[in-house]
Amino acid sequence: MKPTRSLFWLLPLAALALPLFINPYHQYVINLILVYVLVGVGFNIVVGNLGQLAFSNVAFFGIGAYASAIFTTQLGIPWWLTIIPAGLAGALAGCAASIPALRGVRLFYLAIMTLAFGELMRWTYIRTPFLTGGSMGLTVPPAELFGWVLETETQKFYVFLVIVVVIVVAVGRILESRIGRAFLAIKNDERAAAAMAIPTGRYFLLAFALSGFVVGVGGAMYAALVGHLSPEAFDLVQLILHFAIIMVGGLGSLVGSIFGAILITATPELFRDWPGFEELMFGIVIVLVILFLPRGLASLLARLHPVFKDRYLRDD
Amino acid sequence: MLSLLPQLLVSGIAIGMLYALIGLSMTILYRATTVVNFGHGDLVMAGAYMVLIFTIHVSLPFIPALLLSLAALFGFGYLLHRAFIWPIIAGPHLSLAMMAIAIGYAVRGLVRLEYGSEMAKMPRPFEEQFFFAYNTVMTLDEITFCVVVVVMLIASYFVFSKTRFGRIVQAMFQTQRGAALVGINVRLYNNLIWGVGCALGALGGVMLGLILVLDPDAGVWTLLRGFAAMTLGGFGSLYGAVIGGLIIGVLEKVLGTYVSTAFIDITCYLVIIVVLLVRPRGLFGQHATLRI
Amino acid sequence: MRAIRTTFQTATVAVVLAAASGLATAEERGVTDTTIKIGNIGPFTGKAAIFNPLNYGSVAYMRYVNDLGGVYGRKFEIVLGDTACAEAKGIAAAKKMVHDEKVFMITVNPCSGVAMAAKPTFLQEGMIWSGVSANPKITGSVGSGGDGPPPEYMFHVTPNGYFSGVTMGKFIMTKPGAKKIALVAHTNDWARGYCDPAKDYIESQGGEVVLDTAMERGSTDATAQVLRIKSEGVDGVLGCLYQPELVVLLRDAHKYQLGAPVIGALGADFGQVVQQVGNPDAVNGVFFQGHLYKDKIGAPALEWAKQILLKYLTPDELPNEGDPTHFYYFGMMNGVGVVEGFRRAGRDLTRESYMAAIESMRSFDNNISAGSVTITDDQHVGISDMYFNGLDENGDEVIFTAYGQPLH
Repeated sequence: MKPTRSLFWLLPLAALALPLFINPYHQYVINLILVYVLVGVGFNIVVGNLGQLAFSNVAFFGIGAYASAIFTTQLGIPWWLTIIPAGLAGALAGCAASIPALRGVRLFYLAIMTLAFGELMRWTYIRTPFLTGGSMGLTVPPAELFGWVLETETQKFYVFLVIVVVIVVAVGRILESRIGRAFLAIKNDERAAAAMAIPTGRYFLLAFALSGFVVGVGGAMYAALVGHLSPEAFDLVQLILHFAIIMVGGLGSLVGSIFGAILITATPELFRDWPGFEELMFGIVIVLVILFLPRGLASLLARLHPVFKDRYLRDD
Repeated sequence: MLSLLPQLLVSGIAIGMLYALIGLSMTILYRATTVVNFGHGDLVMAGAYMVLIFTIHVSLPFIPALLLSLAALFGFGYLLHRAFIWPIIAGPHLSLAMMAIAIGYAVRGLVRLEYGSEMAKMPRPFEEQFFFAYNTVMTLDEITFCVVVVVMLIASYFVFSKTRFGRIVQAMFQTQRGAALVGINVRLYNNLIWGVGCALGALGGVMLGLILVLDPDAGVWTLLRGFAAMTLGGFGSLYGAVIGGLIIGVLEKVLGTYVSTAFIDITCYLVIIVVLLVRPRGLFGQHATLRI
Repeated sequence: MRAIRTTFQTATVAVVLAAASGLATAEERGVTDTTIKIGNIGPFTGKAAIFNPLNYGSVAYMRYVNDLGGVYGRKFEIVLGDTACAEAKGIAAAKKMVHDEKVFMITVNPCSGVAMAAKPTFLQEGMIWSGVSANPKITGSVGSGGDGPPPEYMFHVTPNGYFSGVTMGKFIMTKPGAKKIALVAHTNDWARGYCDPAKDYIESQGGEVVLDTAMERGSTDATAQVLRIKSEGVDGVLGCLYQPELVVLLRDAHKYQLGAPVIGALGADFGQVVQQVGNPDAVNGVFFQGHLYKDKIGAPALEWAKQILLKYLTPDELPNEGDPTHFYYFGMMNGVGVVEGFRRAGRDLTRESYMAAIESMRSFDNNISAGSVTITDDQHVGISDMYFNGLDENGDEVIFTAYGQPLH
């Protein structure tokens, strides 16, 4: 298995040459995919790996994006220095979102509560105009990297690619480690995990914080890519997009998050000429995936070639 | 400002009746199948749009259109459970939640294809009238809400506690497996309950259609009010959902008037968060948290 | 071998020459001798899809001009693009127009958030943009809601939110004795794009905005807003609301006997609002709304526009029920202005000649709007004035130039 997995490195390497062949529109869509790869990877940690019904991902995403934008606009910090703080802001939101879970709120209760948390954050963006620009939105200056301004989509692409590769590899390592196995143990049977002396509370906190961090960094990338944040961008439609990514990609699968992000972000662009059908198609696709491909695209790919199999997932 | 309080109570309770009905319909689904329907809001709106289609495009009078709309949503709920929820009922909760969300989203998309670029208003069955008493005003719509919801609550109480159907559903709420063991056709009863829940939700949508211009997106808004009513009342409690809905209706008005209109929209989120943190079982519900 | 090399060299020379000659006769992006490619972007899906009649209004006028033979023999080739009113998707739509479709200009673009997010792309690519979105920061300069010179290639041939808001403020301040005003607004950029300039104007005229209340989309009633406003005893209410909520506000204003006029922004159709409130007492003499057009919708002066809409739009593009709403006319107003630019630019069409033509408009009468279009090199918002419509005691629609001053 080991040698074939190194083939994965060909993916980002091949991607390096991509900008030579495509125009800025396609490049933008690919950059957006990179943002949503992090969104999917982060979301999947709590939902797929820890197995919790937490709907707070849009809050992490929005908080990351606004944190990055507020640090750049209010404090004049260059964009690249806001990436980590944006991730930390997301992680903090993750910790906050884990409080009900730590208090024993589970299943639908947790779902409803985190849904309310996400909506409450959207309200907060609207109600703090001195920081967020309120309803009118916040225009973010062009991202800056060591004094080098990211003006073109190609420049953004290379920076995003590095960030995404680093984070995806790191998350992969974590999921393959003892921590990842503890997540899966909790997902499979929380009481049994606790009985085996796994400190479940600590792992809940860790999973939510990690998820928040990854998605928060995605938010910082979103701020740099889109350049204008408005509270309405972080609504429940955004949440359905995030869900679609992990459902279609495959719950709990890192590989799935990546392919889910590619598919869900790129497909609507391919079907631009038939506007109006998007919501209908989206709904139907998710229904079909749940019914006929419950482990998502990842399970299909794993059947295609073992290299796509996430090592930390069992063979069931 | 204090003199406004009676008026706020009256209109708060009236609109709370609407939340109560939506909460009630979600509770009925939840009681039977212990599944929360995250797509319920869109089905509520679908009920109102069905009346619009039957009255405008098929030119039926209001009452037959209403009955047909409820029947259509009953059928939809039945099929929804039979074809999409039941096959995955043993799967992870996330799949159940997502299934409902996805179906709701598809329904919204379908509505938008037809009504996306215009504002439609459901025809009214009666003229709007105002009644004044003790410095407060109430509309005929609001009185209708109260009557409909009280009747529905009494009916559900009767059905759930006095009929064979109700007792079977109660048994299934306790344990689906046990109910199956004693020879109950669990699937059929669950199908029926989903039909009833959706039809009841559709009734809420039609009432909403009396006072609102129809909007395909109103479903999300509706869903969260229903959740808040359910959470406050306690999951699974029928009268809890109704009381919860009424409290939220009044709370929105009181906060909006005495504190700030900015709070109207987040009243239900605050209620959900506070209740689940402080008293997760709500006012009348049973245990809701996991203790390890 | 040598023969092959010679052939190869000849071929290379030929290719280079061909390329060079191609360059020599290269035309402006999106323009050929017979066509002009126009990107028409807007919310064809999503929660703002109610605004896509703006897009279709513009489309209808261009199809009509095509039918007459186009402008200088060039016909419009319209490419629709969906923004879903979401920034991320809107930028993709804009970039597709620029880089894939290679259009000459982008037009309509309701949804300020999308326009703001895509503005850097337009500026970077020198893309001509003529839109209808409200946010004054898009094309505004000093005097039209912005704070610097206007963007080089972007303009409104319609009013923007700044002038619409100011006109709302002007209207209510012409009510005799008007001093205390209340606002009811959605918490989004569209609503603030109207209500903020209105508020500034009212305060600059010695008025006072005593309450600035929020009303979210989907609200079932406006009890809290109306009761608070009533307890302040105001002289007028500005409702920066979409149609469903404006209907709710009017209904509750009547229910609680607010006793002050309500002035609606451009997010609703006047005729439909009146019909959907369904109660003459709640609207007659009480409800006024910004009116962009020279006369009533449906009046003989606008019959030509209605005929074009009915003839050149498909049943799918027209409303399911009833006549085209005011958004269609708003969209057409944009279409007329854009086409006038092509007429003035002449046969040698380039971005520069087109912008020079647009900036040459002085009191251009587009035969549809209340105000005429004036665009200069330091003012890119074409229309700064509008009328208001309301109902008299009998429920007949009346166009007003100021409070209590009918047009006819």
